[in-house]
Amino acid sequence: MVTGVLEVRDLTKRYGANLAVDGLSFKAEPGRVLGFLGPNGAGKTTTLRMLLGLTLPTSGDAVVDLVPYRMLSDPIKVVGAVLEGPQFHPGRSGRNHLRVLATAAGLPSSRVEEVLRLVELEGAGNKRVKAYSLGMRQRLSLAGALLGDPRALVLDEPANGLDPQGIRWLRDFIRAQGGAGRTVLVSSHVLAEMAQTVDEVVVISQGRLVAQGSLDELTSGVEAPVWVRCADPDRLQAVLGARDGVTAEPGEAAGGWLAVRGASLEDVGTAALEAGVAVFELYRPRQSLESVFLELTSGTDAGR
Amino acid sequence: MINLVLAELLKFRTTRTFWGLAGSALGLVLLIVILTLAIDDHLNTEQDVRDLLSTAGIYGLMALILGVVAGAGEYRHGTIAWTLLVTPNRLRAVGGGVIACFLGGLAIGVVVASCVTAVALPWLSAKDAVLPPTGDLLKILLGGVLYAALAAALGSAFGQLLRNQVAGVVIVLVLIFVVDPVIAGLLENVGQFTLTGLGIAMSGGDNGDTNVLPLGVAALVWALYTALFTALAVIFTSRRDI
Repeated sequence: MVTGVLEVRDLTKRYGANLAVDGLSFKAEPGRVLGFLGPNGAGKTTTLRMLLGLTLPTSGDAVVDLVPYRMLSDPIKVVGAVLEGPQFHPGRSGRNHLRVLATAAGLPSSRVEEVLRLVELEGAGNKRVKAYSLGMRQRLSLAGALLGDPRALVLDEPANGLDPQGIRWLRDFIRAQGGAGRTVLVSSHVLAEMAQTVDEVVVISQGRLVAQGSLDELTSGVEAPVWVRCADPDRLQAVLGARDGVTAEPGEAAGGWLAVRGASLEDVGTAALEAGVAVFELYRPRQSLESVFLELTSGTDAGR
Repeated sequence: MINLVLAELLKFRTTRTFWGLAGSALGLVLLIVILTLAIDDHLNTEQDVRDLLSTAGIYGLMALILGVVAGAGEYRHGTIAWTLLVTPNRLRAVGGGVIACFLGGLAIGVVVASCVTAVALPWLSAKDAVLPPTGDLLKILLGGVLYAALAAALGSAFGQLLRNQVAGVVIVLVLIFVVDPVIAGLLENVGQFTLTGLGIAMSGGDNGDTNVLPLGVAALVWALYTALFTALAVIFTSRRDI
């Protein structure tokens, strides 16, 4: 059954002495948008190309619905892909590029017109690709990915070359694809954009997995302290400080603030209730995806 | 597989390269034939007519180059990734390109042979030249068509194996114009198995030479070369990172 589950298991790719991808494992599920993040040279594109059967793994598996891409009998209807820096024959029109793909896949030419409309390129379909802007090429690439109405989309830096309107269009588009039940695996450097687009993220660095989880989990600031402003900070500090692994320090600002580490919002609220201390404010500051990303990937050499 | 071949043929039709090379082949052959007919007053014997018609076999070389350009062009323009995303089976992907080039070469051959026939035969009749029997004429013309088709197929397999258009075309030209004549000069019996020797055998340019293979055998040997290069292209494409 075609569900469009994308999975890599213990995936490794070595180029001579360079280990581009090192034992990477993750899974992208239907109905979810999975962001694939990492610094330049982290191994994102290599991983996606292994998933698409364009690059051979040194070891491990990259599968779609438990089957390697190369073994899919009708791949365009299972996975649609946008490769980084998509390439086209410069002398062929965008419409003819799609007609070639549709013909090879046994799709009707009416589908070409549908996807051209979907990516808002219907007016430029007869132009040769060499006359296309970078943004138009990206849209054409997306049209190619959508041609087979696939269950999963693999998008490698799809925002490259798009103007702000294009990026907004892409965000809505990706959200809609996830909402329609498709599996979406998307890599991008535009972290602010990813934060508004994805449900979950996989962060890799030097070919290795460094973090995986929902956007909420990663940006909820698990490492950040819980801030509480209460009527009796000394008493609450003593109560919390008596708990294993919990520290409570007075905040620098006046007004009875405490910074509590090692405890959840619920833990702090419950402790205050039990101690009979009135709580006025209680929160944990969220981190931006960018700060989480930089924290997770700091110290890695990005030049590979 | 039919869809794949149709898609490959659509690739030809939607760029100028195919039309440019096909037009060049037609123009060059017609130019040679017309100039020969206009200038040469000694087209009297059957052999003279055979020689004239077999010169049309030069479009086999053009078809060979067309195949190389088409096969390696996918890598030059990066469109091979699209091809393999739609057709990840490397045997089907490479085979589809080879079959499409065979058909493209066949089409060029049919057009060129038809035009040459339409121009040369009435002209030769007007000059009271002695025409070979119809069977011989057909053999020359159909052999030339077959040569063009097989040449384009071999070119495609070679281009897909090599992946570099310029290097591919240069190697083919060096083989045809340098290596083959040297081999034919040094090793007479081996010369009939060179691309040039096989091309001459198929296009009827043997000039009564006994060291030329029969048409059917030459076509079979050429087809074996094509199968060998296709197999190599499939193996290497399967193992390469795109």
